[in-house]
Amino acid sequence: MPKIVYVQPDGTETALDVDAGTTVMRAALAAGVQGIVAECGGNAMCATCHVYTDPSDSDRLPAVGDDEDEMLDCTAGAREDGSRLSCQLPITEAMEGLAVRVPREQV
Amino acid sequence: MAQVIDDFARTIQLDELWSDPYPIYRTLRENQPVAWVPAANRYLLTRHSDIAYLEKHPEIFSAAETHSLMIRVMGLTMLRQDGADHLRERKAAEPALRPRMVKQRWTPAFQRIADELIDGFRDRGEADLFTEFAAPMAAKCLAAVLGLADVPAQDLQTWSQAMMDGTGNYADDPVVWQRAESAARGVERAVDAAIERLSAHPDDSVISAMLHAEDPLTPRQIRDNIKLFIGGGLNEPRDATTVGTYALLTHPEQRARVEADPSRFKDVFEETVRWVAPIGMYPRQTTMETELGGTVLPAGAKLGIVLASANRDESVFDNPDTFDIDRTGRVHLAFGGGPHFCLGTWTARAQVGAVALPTLFRRLPGLRLSGAEPVRWGGWVFRGLLNLPARWDV
Ligand code: HEM
Repeated sequence: MPKIVYVQPDGTETALDVDAGTTVMRAALAAGVQGIVAECGGNAMCATCHVYTDPSDSDRLPAVGDDEDEMLDCTAGAREDGSRLSCQLPITEAMEGLAVRVPREQV
Repeated sequence: MAQVIDDFARTIQLDELWSDPYPIYRTLRENQPVAWVPAANRYLLTRHSDIAYLEKHPEIFSAAETHSLMIRVMGLTMLRQDGADHLRERKAAEPALRPRMVKQRWTPAFQRIADELIDGFRDRGEADLFTEFAAPMAAKCLAAVLGLADVPAQDLQTWSQAMMDGTGNYADDPVVWQRAESAARGVERAVDAAIERLSAHPDDSVISAMLHAEDPLTPRQIRDNIKLFIGGGLNEPRDATTVGTYALLTHPEQRARVEADPSRFKDVFEETVRWVAPIGMYPRQTTMETELGGTVLPAGAKLGIVLASANRDESVFDNPDTFDIDRTGRVHLAFGGGPHFCLGTWTARAQVGAVALPTLFRRLPGLRLSGAEPVRWGGWVFRGLLNLPARWDV
């Protein structure tokens, strides 16, 4: 059960032990983490589950797909290097300790 | 007390909901957020939090309603299926409706459509913008996106209305059934012609995407889903166009700011669909007994998900009845949520927020309500203006 840490804009952290197989988005919704809206439920169509990852974590995350890349241009909070849609991040053991920052603006 | 509240839900009449549902929703939100409403023959869900919960639990709240009038009129569409079957049909259509495609391919086409319509009436200095602009604009944009560009806008409007009347024909009126059936046949003929053309010559349209998907849809699945698109993709952008225009015409201070900074039309669009949700209510059915908002729902219970009410929930939106383009960070539910999250969201944002509204205000200087006749509102399942008589300077 990898641990994922969600960091709010004010610095508050929520650490969750998450089953491999779910996604960073679903785990956040199930635990009621603030700021992950996820309107479309994981279809990569709404851009409201945006998170910032640390660019140095990129090699333990799947590459940004075409649909995700397109949606990242539609986020409410500015796109940065480590921007990801949390619905496109399936949890793997390699993600132990991953920290994701929740943007100030999600809609 | 419980008795009194129960009595309130029982007294609700459909014609009251049709003329102004908002005061009724406020009372329901306060007192009985999940209420059995005999006139609607459903439990109505009116709180934002309950609806947001429901949209995240499709395994409990199914879209595959039994005895669905929508299925009777349109056949089995993506909107009345759950799980993998739903996703397969949705994914096939999706490439035509993703934001990049909308921006590069459809937005320029929408702009031409808007300009041509406005060219047709601008010199006259007055028009009913419902019949002369919003409705044909919505129909022509939809036709382009679907791959039915050669179908007259008037046919699409007639089919759309006839099918929607059918999906609401709880009174079992035979004339309504007859019209809905002939509309469905009309759509089928148009789709068959498009399939023939697009099989050999693919393009960027929805029908072409369905035909050439990795897991292609059958002609029957394409016909039935296009009935859904025509029934459900026309009224909403039309109504968002008239309501958004009306809102700016009646809020001069906000209008001035938007005209000074047209990038704000984006906010106008989002606030418009929050303020008056074009789809006010959509149906769901429980797959198991469950509790929501203090009410125990049996398995198989028919629900009405009142987006119009969620969007005016005072626990989420300050002064919820006020039109205010400066709202930030609050999630309106006008496009639904979860697996059936509106597939036309990006198309609608482009055709209404990026094209129809800015073009009207830019090209019709001094735009104002004509005052010759009052504007009229109507509807609760779908709600919007029924006319929009306007004048401008020529
Ligand atoms: C302002 C405009 C619009 C609004 C407010 C709106 C609203 C909605 C809502 C609330 C739903 C979910 C219904 C449910 O879950 O039962 C929905 C679904 C859908 N909408 Fe829209 N819509 C709009 C425009 C459009 C347009 C322009 C199209 C087509 C180009 C479209 C196509 C669809 C389709 C195909 C679905 C079904 C998706 C599925 O079942 O997965 N919509 N829409």
